[in-house]
Amino acid sequence: MGEDLCSEYDVIVIGTGMTESIIAAAASRIGKRVLHLDRNDYYGGMWATFSFDALQRWLKECHNQDQKNITNFKNKTYISQDEILISCGSQSSVSNIDEQWFIPKNVPVNASENSFSKNEKNDFWDQEKIKNLSRKFNLDLAPKLLFSRGSLVDLLISSNIARYAEFRSVSRILTWYNGQLETVPCSRADVFSTKDVSVMEKRLLMKMLQLCAEYKPNGNEFKNFEKKTFADYLKSKELTENIVHYILYAIAMSSINTPCMTGVERTQKFLSSLGRFGNTPFLWPLYGSGELPQCFCRLCAVFGGVYHLKRTADSLVVLKTDMKSICKGIVSNDQFLSTHHLILNVSEAPSSFLQETFNEGLSRGIFITNRSIYSSEKESLTLLQFPYGIKNKPITVIEIGSSTHACPDGLYIIHMTCKQNTNATEDLKPAVEKLLEIEQIDLDPSHSASSGISGFAYDYEIYSGAIDMTNKENQEVKSVRPQVLWALYFNCLETSQCDLSVNVPSNIYLTSGPDADIDFEFAVKQAKEIFKKMYPNEEFLPRAPDPEELLLDDEEIISGDNNSSLTSTE
Amino acid sequence: MMSNIINNSSLQSNESFDFIFKIVLIGDCSTGKSCIVERFRNGTYNEPQPATVGVDFSIKTVCMHGKTIKLQIWDTAGMERFRTVTQSYYRSANGVIIVYDTTKRATFLNVQKWIDEARRNTGSNVLLFLVGTKCDLEDEREVELSEAEEMRDYIPEIMFVLETSAKENKNIDDVFFCLAEELKKKHDQMAILENAEEDRPVNISESKPISQCALICD
Repeated sequence: MGEDLCSEYDVIVIGTGMTESIIAAAASRIGKRVLHLDRNDYYGGMWATFSFDALQRWLKECHNQDQKNITNFKNKTYISQDEILISCGSQSSVSNIDEQWFIPKNVPVNASENSFSKNEKNDFWDQEKIKNLSRKFNLDLAPKLLFSRGSLVDLLISSNIARYAEFRSVSRILTWYNGQLETVPCSRADVFSTKDVSVMEKRLLMKMLQLCAEYKPNGNEFKNFEKKTFADYLKSKELTENIVHYILYAIAMSSINTPCMTGVERTQKFLSSLGRFGNTPFLWPLYGSGELPQCFCRLCAVFGGVYHLKRTADSLVVLKTDMKSICKGIVSNDQFLSTHHLILNVSEAPSSFLQETFNEGLSRGIFITNRSIYSSEKESLTLLQFPYGIKNKPITVIEIGSSTHACPDGLYIIHMTCKQNTNATEDLKPAVEKLLEIEQIDLDPSHSASSGISGFAYDYEIYSGAIDMTNKENQEVKSVRPQVLWALYFNCLETSQCDLSVNVPSNIYLTSGPDADIDFEFAVKQAKEIFKKMYPNEEFLPRAPDPEELLLDDEEIISGDNNSSLTSTE
Repeated sequence: MMSNIINNSSLQSNESFDFIFKIVLIGDCSTGKSCIVERFRNGTYNEPQPATVGVDFSIKTVCMHGKTIKLQIWDTAGMERFRTVTQSYYRSANGVIIVYDTTKRATFLNVQKWIDEARRNTGSNVLLFLVGTKCDLEDEREVELSEAEEMRDYIPEIMFVLETSAKENKNIDDVFFCLAEELKKKHDQMAILENAEEDRPVNISESKPISQCALICD
């Protein structure tokens, strides 16, 4: 360690989020010299996935960010005449952090032994136990799904980066209708097996979806609806109320204000991704969304890209002429590093590059719960577009269990995301109140509210899931809401709608953080566009060769049966 | 975790095999990780090597007790230089080889850090192996084998310690044979406990082009 970096690059990339990492991989893949830096000691920036402990450290850092001093480099040795030094920014992009525990710090052993021995299967959770299982958690700052036929799946396959990652398919899509959760029939099999929909409605649903799937720009079906909403169109088709609901909210993932053609396009996208990998159109990356930027970083490194975390640009060296300005390089740890192109995550951009203050944001919620929002025999991976957020903006809900390595056995992680209105806690309230139990669990009788011991027992029943079929035979298991053990709310910036090129030197490209959409399409699109600006005539991430293709000699099989010359034990 | 062991991925074309294991190499820069792999894979040795570029992983097939075992051996791609190996590198690894240079004490002192990192990012079933390199350079030796063995005794996760020389082809094959043997043993134990093939994760590079859409095509 401690060795200096080589000082000349074709591309310097600052930030290891999704967009930056794709660009780094693409540039390295065609032989460009790439240096990839990140100020943090982890990959991914606002796209990162954390263990429970790492998330706590991230929260602490967010709280301390305001006090961070930006060192002002007055050192002129790096620059010549006409060049100027611009200090890099460190925009604090996270706000309204609100972390809450709903379970006791730790439960005395005798309490859990005496009262709950009948219910041994229900693991008893306290804060200490969650913290001790820190590494079993993979908590996403920006949870995202992949459309099975979306641009990221295509890119992963065509570039051969797919071999670095594994996925699970989302197993069901739910919707909130008439005050309860319902499964949305996705596949043909679903449609025919569902009991929530009559035979007549099944035909209507199939016919409707077929119309959307077959839509071509010059067709007549959607004439006169170009300026109307998708909801208007669906209503004109004399569908029943629940069919309209399924299509509008769950399949087109729209709201009542979505324009008709947008709704049709989204429906098409949904339908075209069905049946490739599973029952629904979506895939979820094992170990979390934060794995994917790392896969692109790995490819970048395989082709010679240089990686350094905990290091960033302190300032940029910009040559200003009358006509335009050009970035010559960066100053990092007192070293001047020259580059032809500079990719900068927007959070690292000097404030003079940003023409406007950002006012769009995301509201995020992460919840650890003790059961699924909609229990079923097998562990499910669930997507729900909750239609009735603030001002009728939908709230995206993703629920994942231990089979995705998101959490320990017996727990679930629920992610909620919507566009920011006021703050995350308020914005997500409509969905939280309908789907989750957020009563404080207090197992210490002396602290329990006025009801004393009985209150304690009651709390435990809800908490542990003791209210099962046994207690309330007529009540279905699925209607018991999961108890939240821990919750985190925060807001972060959303810059996908901003023009990030206005005040920026011609060879610097700013990249956005996570956007509001459910998938990675925006990041892939932005990465492609920036790459094409830098290298208009080069191929974007051509297929990386398999190891067999690199080696000419035939693979021989060797036998290890008679080896025994080991220096050491077992 | 074990579910990806029987993983007939497209990379293996149509050759048949009984097991495939993912093995990752870690350890400080210039300890000779790539030389070990090259010697094992191709039976060759080149010195001095530039930092590894373009090599993602190597595949070598080993035959053992009548079973064909494919070893997928992953190299760090130079990411160890500033200790920036991605977590995703470790995912679903079955074995980890931690490499130190017997002629550079500092690389041995860093072994503990690599073990911590491996522990953080791998499953509980992963096997760790400690390998010293360049043992042909006896004059320059800075780490005794007894020290490495002591470390093995202290750290229960380490299965075994071996000193190697890629230059003189000493113990290189043994490292991988022993690994294959242990992994197979481990797998046999696990196979009794769980049905590994059920509920495998999706590997999208295995997908076949499917043109029909489940909903609309009759």
